[in-house]
Amino acid sequence: MESAMENQEIAGLEKPKILVVDDHAVVLGGTIDLLKQKYPEADILTAQTGRETLDAVARSQPDLVVMDLSIPEVEGVTARIDTGLQVLRTLMEKYPHLNLMVQSTYVRSLVRIRPEIDSHTGGFTVTDKGLSGQEMLTRVDWALQGVTHTKDIKGVQAGLEVKPEWLTLLTLAFGEGLQDKAIAQRMRVSERTVRHYWTKVQDALEIYPEEGKNIRIQTEMRAREEGLID
Amino acid sequence: MKRHFWQKFKQDFPQEFAILRIGALPGLAAILLVAIARATGSLQFLEWGALDAFMRLRPAEPRDERIVLVGIEETDIERIGRYPVPDGTIADLLQKLQTYRPAVIGLDLSRELPVEPGHAELKAALAQMENTIGAERVLPQQGSPAGLPSDRVGFSDFPLDADLHVRRSLLGMPDLRKSGDYKFSLAMQLARVYLAKTENLTLENGIRDPNAMRFGRTEFPRFLSHSGGYVGTDAGGVQMLVSFRQGTEPFRMLSLRDIETGNFDPDWLRDRIILIGVTAPIYKGKIQTKAMAGLNPPSISGIEFQAHVASQILSAVLDDRALLKTWSEGWEYLWIVGWGCVGIGLGRLSNSLFKNGLGIIIFGVAAIGIGYGSFLGGWWLPVVPPVLALGFANISYTAFSEYDKVLRSRLQERQKTIDRTFNVIHNGPLQTLANVLRHLRDRDWSHEKFLAELENLNYELRAVGERLEQEMLDFEDALFLGSGKKLDLKVPIHELFYEVYRSTLERDLPGFQTLKVKAIDFEPMVPPSLGIEQKRELCRFLEEALCNVGKHAKGATRLSVTGTQTDGWYLLRITDNGPGLKSFTEGRGTKQSKHLKVQLRGKFKREALSPRGTVCELTWPVARSWVYKLS
Repeated sequence: MESAMENQEIAGLEKPKILVVDDHAVVLGGTIDLLKQKYPEADILTAQTGRETLDAVARSQPDLVVMDLSIPEVEGVTARIDTGLQVLRTLMEKYPHLNLMVQSTYVRSLVRIRPEIDSHTGGFTVTDKGLSGQEMLTRVDWALQGVTHTKDIKGVQAGLEVKPEWLTLLTLAFGEGLQDKAIAQRMRVSERTVRHYWTKVQDALEIYPEEGKNIRIQTEMRAREEGLID
Repeated sequence: MKRHFWQKFKQDFPQEFAILRIGALPGLAAILLVAIARATGSLQFLEWGALDAFMRLRPAEPRDERIVLVGIEETDIERIGRYPVPDGTIADLLQKLQTYRPAVIGLDLSRELPVEPGHAELKAALAQMENTIGAERVLPQQGSPAGLPSDRVGFSDFPLDADLHVRRSLLGMPDLRKSGDYKFSLAMQLARVYLAKTENLTLENGIRDPNAMRFGRTEFPRFLSHSGGYVGTDAGGVQMLVSFRQGTEPFRMLSLRDIETGNFDPDWLRDRIILIGVTAPIYKGKIQTKAMAGLNPPSISGIEFQAHVASQILSAVLDDRALLKTWSEGWEYLWIVGWGCVGIGLGRLSNSLFKNGLGIIIFGVAAIGIGYGSFLGGWWLPVVPPVLALGFANISYTAFSEYDKVLRSRLQERQKTIDRTFNVIHNGPLQTLANVLRHLRDRDWSHEKFLAELENLNYELRAVGERLEQEMLDFEDALFLGSGKKLDLKVPIHELFYEVYRSTLERDLPGFQTLKVKAIDFEPMVPPSLGIEQKRELCRFLEEALCNVGKHAKGATRLSVTGTQTDGWYLLRITDNGPGLKSFTEGRGTKQSKHLKVQLRGKFKREALSPRGTVCELTWPVARSWVYKLS
């Protein structure tokens, strides 16, 4: 059921509108080339500063924003990670369903907006600029699917960091065997939010979509391993 | 509402009292200073000035037709060709005036020595005219003119104030040469004859004040040495404050020539008081007064002054015109102190310099207004001293309480610095030290590990100074955690909580090593009503609570740190499933949370969970209005 629906969403994104943000023209070009390979039909927009990014998103409502963290606020100003973080914050606040992929050499600094990322309902993936093109495209794909992939920005702390409602979700799903609809009713949230919780839990457990694997069963196994459910 | 106010008052009273005591003392000192200045006479000139100004401002009164002045003017003297004017001329004038049947004639000319020609005529005329009063000078004594009997002589002397202006009149005094005899002023003699003739009233002693003078129901308030703004003035004889008649021409003025040429209406003179005197300033000095509007130069002639006094007596008796009364000294000083207290109160209530200044202007104008209103009603109240008391008390109150505020905030700042230092040491190196001690006892660390930790401790201790220094640079909006992390306290509290959580969990504490699940969620606080200091304390609290988990919750697998808001309360809860607290010794951490509890008006709880674990909770009301709803 679930995967069928996810596939449907992907099907609708064969001609995605993607905004690429980077202040280096070379990197920008490279990213666009990569994206064109995978999504020949894609409508690709670009932005080089924080302000341009916000304007472009407001104007053309892209399906995905691929952005660097170190960008200048306006043209001619020094690029700063804080600017990128602030732009991300603004985007997540204004467009909670927007899919985002951060492509940067400073991905660790995303920890500072961790709570916002956890609350963001759109896809959110992170890729280090040093990763292979293929890996990057996978993350783009995941972001377009609404998946959260943030294992690269986890702290050095022991244990899993979760939100209390994700634990409730796991208990309802695997402890009481409830389906999403019933879980949504019990938790007094929308089904969409329940799906959002799933992607977050899966990200916390580092489970990502893989061909031929049932993601829910994997989730249950990992959750029991990690002690999220007794 | 009323109850709330009362409760708030009771609650604030000690503090209120402390503030009042600090600022009020200088305020009261300022009032005392004004009172002393007044009592020693330093304010006399200002108070006289205020009295003069009030008189000038008084609406114009109609001319007093009962009194007519016949002035011997400069042109008259030029025409006669000599000065003093010969007795014969005066005798002719008297004879002519008598034909118009005046009530009484006052002859304000010093005629100690005969001025020929015509001395005999004048003497005869005076002897014959019963309704003529002669003038003499008593200070110093000069002979009465042409041997008139004493009941037909009045003195023309008047007391001058230290600024050489006239504000008082001498109505009567004991004869300095003949004890037992009593002398009246010219004005009083004229009024006495006039009232006896027209109203059948006689001069009597006062009822309220037996030393005062009285006609019928009208008693003339006696001037005393300290009346009104006066201090230590010679109040010999019976004196009265002059209430000058206001107007462009308060009395009809004729010249010698007018009488000789018949240039007047006979009705002007019939049954009136006629005052004859020299008005030419070259020959007779004028009397200075600033109490009348439109006078240039600000002075009047002798007969004008006598006319003002006589008119004051007559209009008080016949027209109920107000006489000038003053308060007793006690009331005056109470009045001054009262206004001073208004100044202090104003300083206490107004929180801005502008409002304070505006208040001073409004109340100062009010004090002057009340003074003027009372003056119109016949009361000369102190005006300058109350305004000074108001201003000075307010200024010194404000200055001292501002100074005190600065002093207090400096002390508070110092206290805060000490607290902060304690916090930094407590949340940083002390935690590390406790950890090292624990492992030393448990003997479960290797030598190298100890070395590493002690080196870490060494580093942390050295960093304390540097951190404090940095904190002093921008301590208003930054916080340094024990881990060395710097927080910007301007960001919302839920973000700060997350930062504190993340940064603290990275520390090497035993309780954190075994954690498998951390349920973390911090909701934003709506509305975000926390101050920088409160945020700082809350972050310290969370850091402390997490450190406790790290130190005591050995073997814990679950940690839940949540901040949630429900029904106007924000709840910060830290739960672990470690072995639980064995003892609740009140360390600095607990004291810190209790302090915070008071500061936020919230509740603090820390207890063991069953079967295992510890919960630590801090709740506080979010919206300020809740505080009042609860009380």
